[in-house]
Amino acid sequence: MSYKPDDGTLMAYLYGELNDNEKEMLEKYFAQHPKEREKLKLLGDVRNIMSHAQDKEVIAPPVFAGTDNSRSLWQSGYFKISLGIAASILFLLMAGKILGPEISYSKGELRISFANKPAQKEKENLLNEEKIKELIASSLASNNETQKSIREGDQKKLMQTWVDMNSKKIDMLTQSASQASQKQVQSFVAGLQEQNLKLMKDYFQMNATEQKKYMENLLVDFSQYLQEQRKQDLQLVQSKMNYFEKNNSQFRQETEQILTSLISNPVKNKNNY
Amino acid sequence: MAETLLDIAMMHSDHLIARAREGDKNAQSRLVQLWYKRIYNFGYKFFFDHDLAMEVAQKTFISMHKNVESLQEVARFKSWLYTIAVNYCREEVRKKKTRRSVSLHDLGPGEGEESYRWEESHQRHENPERQLRQAELSDLLQECLMQLSEEQREVVIMKEYEGLKFREIAETLNISENTVKSRMYYGLEGLRKILEQKKITKETIGYEL
Repeated sequence: MSYKPDDGTLMAYLYGELNDNEKEMLEKYFAQHPKEREKLKLLGDVRNIMSHAQDKEVIAPPVFAGTDNSRSLWQSGYFKISLGIAASILFLLMAGKILGPEISYSKGELRISFANKPAQKEKENLLNEEKIKELIASSLASNNETQKSIREGDQKKLMQTWVDMNSKKIDMLTQSASQASQKQVQSFVAGLQEQNLKLMKDYFQMNATEQKKYMENLLVDFSQYLQEQRKQDLQLVQSKMNYFEKNNSQFRQETEQILTSLISNPVKNKNNY
Repeated sequence: MAETLLDIAMMHSDHLIARAREGDKNAQSRLVQLWYKRIYNFGYKFFFDHDLAMEVAQKTFISMHKNVESLQEVARFKSWLYTIAVNYCREEVRKKKTRRSVSLHDLGPGEGEESYRWEESHQRHENPERQLRQAELSDLLQECLMQLSEEQREVVIMKEYEGLKFREIAETLNISENTVKSRMYYGLEGLRKILEQKKITKETIGYEL
């Protein structure tokens, strides 16, 4: 039977986690296969080297934990709630005591009052139910009468004003309708035409006079321009003439000088040639 | 790993856990004191980052305070606590991936930095220097650990440094015991190759320390 240990068995052997039977079998296997033992020894050496990686020293942070887990009665929620309710009731009782309330129930009415009652009682003695009814009836009747009279007066006034307004409007309308005859229309149209004609005439007149003025100004400006031009031309001609005259006289003087020099020095001139 | 008083107290903390489950705040704070170092170091070895390890440890114990009363069995407290820690570690990894930032610890040594100072030093028996070399060696081994995949790393840390049994790791990670052993095997194989690349052997370490 050929036995060959797997990686897991080798590791368990290396770390001493193999049971006796398996260990024995493996020992036999190693006796037959010394190379396998050598291979495992190399891994043992790796373990040996790696064991030189030391732990780092570290201090655990402080942990703050309560020493007593039980909560006192004063801290319990139930106690706080009941204390709150008791305080509220006490407050109501104190307020009631100070304000002096009176609670009464009669004829299906629950009354809570905070003031003394004697004055009310006197009033109740003075006014009984019948008197109150009478008073209410009389006040209602008088009120109705006054209301009725006021309403009637207002209605009358409103009707009168409405009628007046309407009649006036109708009169105005009929009057304007009757007055608007054919003649009026014609006269209105004629007036319009006249107005238009007048406007056109004025426009053309204004236009003609403006144009006339403009043309006159234009002619004047043009004549002035011509005169100015003529004057400048004349000045130019004059200056040119002067220039020619000057040149001419100069030339004449020069020729005279040359001639005199030629006449006075005939020999010298001959030699030169 | 030599057992300290803290380790012994942790092993006999069943009564404390039972009291904590009943809502005893004092017992809960005692549990924090007992387990804080272990959870912090688990986080530190997982991330090789102090801040992230602190974050994970704090979140783990806040969660413990909130949920310890719902713990089913006292005996499963250890794996339950590590489950919380692992979940927070994974959460931080996800956050880290979404942030796309690169930690300085993730950067390998540059050119000309192959030889570490702990290898170059030849003076022995001086306590501060020995401590410094030990710290540097720890960092170097931590860097090797960081080269493993997250799945292998968490199993290797739990087994090698936290001393959990394979069954407890399986409970913690909610996977089969065989899967745990398989991850452990490949994790150790991976580490062997990494150490070989870095030329770290039993002999060099023995010589230096």
